Amino acid sequence: MTDQTLQIPPAAPRRQMPWTSLLGVATILGVVALWSLAAGLGWASPVFLPAPGRVWAALMRAATDGYANATLLQHVGASLWRVMAALGCTMALGVPIGLLIATSRVGRGILDPLIEFIRPLPPLAYLPLIIIWCGIGEPSKILVIGLAMLAPIVISTVSGVRAASESQIRAARAFGATRGQLVREVMLPAALPSIFTGMRIALGAGWTTLVAAELVAATRGLGYMIQSAAQFLVTDMVIAGILVISALATVSEFALRAIERRYLPWIGRA
Amino acid sequence: MSLLRLSQVSLQYGPAEGRDVPPVLQGINLDIRRGDFISVIGRSGSGKTSLLNLAAGFLSPNLGRIEIDGRPVTGPGAERAVVFQDDALFPWRRVEDNVALALKLAGVPREDRLVRAHRWLADVGLDGQGAKQVWELSGGQRQRVGIARALAAEPEFLLMDEPLGALDAMTRDQMHELLLRLWRQSHAGALLITHSVEEALFLSTAVVVLAPDPGRIVLHEEFGYGRRFLDGEDPRALKSEPGFIAARERLLSAIYQEEHA
Repeated sequence: MTDQTLQIPPAAPRRQMPWTSLLGVATILGVVALWSLAAGLGWASPVFLPAPGRVWAALMRAATDGYANATLLQHVGASLWRVMAALGCTMALGVPIGLLIATSRVGRGILDPLIEFIRPLPPLAYLPLIIIWCGIGEPSKILVIGLAMLAPIVISTVSGVRAASESQIRAARAFGATRGQLVREVMLPAALPSIFTGMRIALGAGWTTLVAAELVAATRGLGYMIQSAAQFLVTDMVIAGILVISALATVSEFALRAIERRYLPWIGRA
Repeated sequence: MSLLRLSQVSLQYGPAEGRDVPPVLQGINLDIRRGDFISVIGRSGSGKTSLLNLAAGFLSPNLGRIEIDGRPVTGPGAERAVVFQDDALFPWRRVEDNVALALKLAGVPREDRLVRAHRWLADVGLDGQGAKQVWELSGGQRQRVGIARALAAEPEFLLMDEPLGALDAMTRDQMHELLLRLWRQSHAGALLITHSVEEALFLSTAVVVLAPDPGRIVLHEEFGYGRRFLDGEDPRALKSEPGFIAARERLLSAIYQEEHA
């Protein structure tokens, strides 16, 4: 038996139009050109605005000779570890919290106000408290970054669980799904696209919190490198550190998008 | 023989902003036995889907009783499988895993449930499609997967909420044949909610007409066209019979009479 319905192939993944990419590249080149021009014509003191060449040289110096007690790779490794450890811990905590808020009135009653309390707080506001409570070790740094990541993960999980359709939930209930099976088989998978979006937002929040976290007695890390350079007005190294953080954030964003495409292929098609 | 019985069932959603809301359904009496194929037709808002949701256990009646073999229905149960209008498939599962869901929830080992899922897929005309993703299928194929998923649970009652509503005419005709064949094969009692009078008349052993405000049964009539089709009669010839046409007009009158009353 065959279907006579018109077979419409699923839409191909939307490709970015070439001119859009070209426009992006042109914008970056334009900013670098303007920056070179400003530095070359002496519109600003090199202490405030070093030329791109000097920033590149600082980057190479940090990569080969090191800066602030470590090479660039070691700084990157320390920062990556903190951000990824914070992301892992926050996912382990935030997704269950989101599921509880979305599926239980008691859970929502208890946890929702706490998340709403944490959500608008700037990391620098709770940083001193975390130092007092948790000391100056590695857990404090991870905690500061993790707290900044928590709200996006929780909120995206709650929103994702609500994306499961009533008929999908009823279909599972009709087959005798227990509450746990309903969460595992329907709500959590339905929430995954939203959780991934939350992860991407959380990762962005994590990178923006990195410098604050590495204020706490760090000896390595990009935030520490930037702060050390800032203390001595080594502006080229400050800008080099900023560019490395931006590059890492961009790479992690693309990596998450690739994972999403690989493991959640139904997004936009179902 | 199993019996799903609705006795004097009334359903009313909660009062809105202090105002009393009229009942969605009032005084519904309906028996569905294994081997019955009962279709419910009626205007929008006559409570057809609410009736199915009550039978499925998704809703509880305010008055009356719903029983299976004398046992009260208190919620959804594996003996009643549901096919939804929007197919309600899980896009994160492959086709075969969608069909095997009920078996997985019942704790059947993966090997066994996949064998059974493939058998049901073959029965609905989707042999060899098990490894596909849901979104690779057409609307008609997705509804077949939804039906296979429901039947894989080997239910005593198959409850269908306008499962063919979004399909084109040719696919609907194919699905009619499929539904009748599977109904006979499974010996399940079927309850079909539909907007199509002709579909109800062709498929069912009995057609129930609901009228709105409040939702109530205004006609309950038995037919046998589906069985005659399964016995080998030509569907177009059956639908051209004077008796079929007269019955269709009777059912339409029952719907429109209430509308103009």
